[in-house]
Amino acid sequence: MSSLYERIGGEAAVEQAVGIFYRKVLLDDRVNEFFDGVDMDQQINKQKGFLTMAFGGPNNYTGKDMREGHKHLVARGLNDSHVDAIVELLGETLQELGVAAQDIQEVANIANSVRGDVLNK
Amino acid sequence: MAHIIFDQKQIELEDGQSVLSVLLNQDYAIPNSCQAGVCQSCLMQAVEGEIPEAAQVGLKDTLKAQGYFLACCCQPEETLHVVAANETQLRSSAIVMEHERLGTDILRLRLQPPANFKYRAGQYINIWKTENLARSYSLASVSHLDDTLELHIRHVADGQVSSWLHNEIKPGDSLQIQEASGDCFYVPENAQDKMLLAGTGTGLAPLIGIARDAISQGYTGEIHLIHGVRQEQDLYLHHTLQEMASQHSQFYYYANVLESASESESESENISLEQQVLNLVAEPAQCKAYLCGDANIVNTLKKKLFLSGMAMTDIYSDAFLISTAK
Repeated sequence: MSSLYERIGGEAAVEQAVGIFYRKVLLDDRVNEFFDGVDMDQQINKQKGFLTMAFGGPNNYTGKDMREGHKHLVARGLNDSHVDAIVELLGETLQELGVAAQDIQEVANIANSVRGDVLNK
Repeated sequence: MAHIIFDQKQIELEDGQSVLSVLLNQDYAIPNSCQAGVCQSCLMQAVEGEIPEAAQVGLKDTLKAQGYFLACCCQPEETLHVVAANETQLRSSAIVMEHERLGTDILRLRLQPPANFKYRAGQYINIWKTENLARSYSLASVSHLDDTLELHIRHVADGQVSSWLHNEIKPGDSLQIQEASGDCFYVPENAQDKMLLAGTGTGLAPLIGIARDAISQGYTGEIHLIHGVRQEQDLYLHHTLQEMASQHSQFYYYANVLESASESESESENISLEQQVLNLVAEPAQCKAYLCGDANIVNTLKKKLFLSGMAMTDIYSDAFLISTAK
């Protein structure tokens, strides 16, 4: 049986998804303030890493990285509602790419599994 | 706690502190300028220990291989033994061939480069006024078309380097320069795409270089250059660019004056630089953009072009930083 990452389309799907996903994030007033003033080239690389992880692909994410990387945003008010919005936008992105509902749910589960680390709980 | 070894001393770093900041705090005169990992003035060499990846971003492979790193971006996790960069290896002399005023506060310098000096049109070089004081300037010349390096230097009020270049330097003088860096340059691929070149102030310099480079390498697509300035008097090389547009049917030039003096102009001529650039994007997938100059405008445009549907990999940018170094 193929893995989630293979079913979604692997690295090529990450490349395709990142542009769609990042545009959604920047246009969404619930979350875009957290992305003001960040270097967009660096950010797109980080998002590729995030999507690869969420798609069940190879990644080097650790809970410590997640905590360190979001600490300053938690201080600025990052909370559960923002994580919810990101998971929602991620789902919309995958829907546009024609990913099956069951696989989208699985991606959402993986994304939700790092929620505690992201929010430094 | 992480620490560095420098000048036969062991110096501790506080959490999140860079090698540059700890050495400056200790009153060592370490060359630096932008303190943002761009200008490469603060290059140092590591002789032992692990260099963090972030401290070598943007460095040429040859420099990386020799253990060079950017002190302003270096936060080692363990002990790192560092020494001052070998200046004679990094810097060389260029002779001033021309020193000419182009506009109210713009100086054009033409330099005879050192032997075998390599660069891509659109990259920038550092000019060193003293051992520790440098500023970065973009190249307007094209290496296979021009014998000299061309730089456009705006006179910054109280600017230590620009004032010196404007007022004291003259033809025949020798300047210390550092090799070219930066990744905003012409890459000969998809030569039929529409090319958008947008910049403010002396952001015009790299854009002219990129346009001439592309045309000389057989670029077939349209090339649109939009130069944004505050006032009419800030325009420079205006006629040269109009001339270039009349010589090359693929090349279009637009001057965007923010505070236009003439009232008679139609509203369509008074649109913002951002809007003027966005209006030129018809098919985002068949466009590439080069954005140079004021950091706010460059970053806003970058975001808007990406949102319009352009791929991030087709947007090249060079946001000019005003040095905060004293």
